[in-house]
Amino acid sequence: MNGVGKACTDMKHKYNKCFNCWFAKKFLKRDSSNDPCTDLFKHYQQCVQKVIKEKEIPIEGLGFMGHSKERPESSS
Amino acid sequence: MRKYPNPMNPCVVGVDVLERTVDGRGRLHSHRLLSTEWGLPALVKAVSLGRRRHGDCSAGIPGTPRRCACELHPVILGTSRTLTYIKEHSIVDPVEKRMELCSTNITLTNLVSVDERLVYTPHPENPEMTVLTQEAIITVKGISLGSYLESLMANTISSNAKKIMSSFPSHAPSSRASSPSQIPSAEAWRLLLPSDGHSQLHFSPQPLCVQTCPCLEATPRNGSTTGTHGREAVEWVIRSLDAELEDLAAPASERA
Repeated sequence: MNGVGKACTDMKHKYNKCFNCWFAKKFLKRDSSNDPCTDLFKHYQQCVQKVIKEKEIPIEGLGFMGHSKERPESSS
Repeated sequence: MRKYPNPMNPCVVGVDVLERTVDGRGRLHSHRLLSTEWGLPALVKAVSLGRRRHGDCSAGIPGTPRRCACELHPVILGTSRTLTYIKEHSIVDPVEKRMELCSTNITLTNLVSVDERLVYTPHPENPEMTVLTQEAIITVKGISLGSYLESLMANTISSNAKKIMSSFPSHAPSSRASSPSQIPSAEAWRLLLPSDGHSQLHFSPQPLCVQTCPCLEATPRNGSTTGTHGREAVEWVIRSLDAELEDLAAPASERA
């Protein structure tokens, strides 16, 4: 599955691989050891945020389902 | 009827994680951005045609009388693309074995809002089973869509459609006949009205012909509809509109 930007695909896959492993082997077994994927996530995020800014995707903090703020109207 | 991916369960073409943390209770919070593909080519086409005319304001749709509705067209989609975005917040509790997903669209918010929540919990009696609770609040922004449709209907491009519609009274009760799609229905398009119930559609000499939605149970209020079949109702409305527009647009494009 791709993401919002093709440039971030490799980083995304590397992060996902790390996360899936941590999630299944540590998190679900209630192992409280630290997340080893922090650096990979940071790298991936920098790319995603850049694409979001370029595409002007409106991801400013929107709450919903009981925590809603005023939703800005957008047509794009 | 499922000719296209439907907008209430669109084709997800991209997923990205925006944020991920573990809270003080050991629950994993994830915020994700979903890229989704709509499937309403008739609506997109109508908007694209409208936008091409936007500059000279001569007409909204080719072949229609000279009436400018261009201020309405960009409101609908704002783009000729069908890619939209949804933001999702999920919470995974490994102790309670509970997962909650909340999602909302962050584009097309001028047209429709879909807030959905899914909760997965263990079955209280059978540990092999999972209980899923799903709820959605769907708000159709009646003013913009209703006005746009009014404009589209006022500029009817099919003379045949005009003749059919004018043969029915403008305030017929929600009755059915052999051709339900041609009967003006006060019920289904009331979804599209603003909360005060006043819309020029109501008094239009060419009333909107939409079949009564069979799954709509809740009474629309404040321009929104909720209920156990809210999602199906809006899906039905949008599919019906798409089909209506496809029928109306076809003759004009042939003449153009």
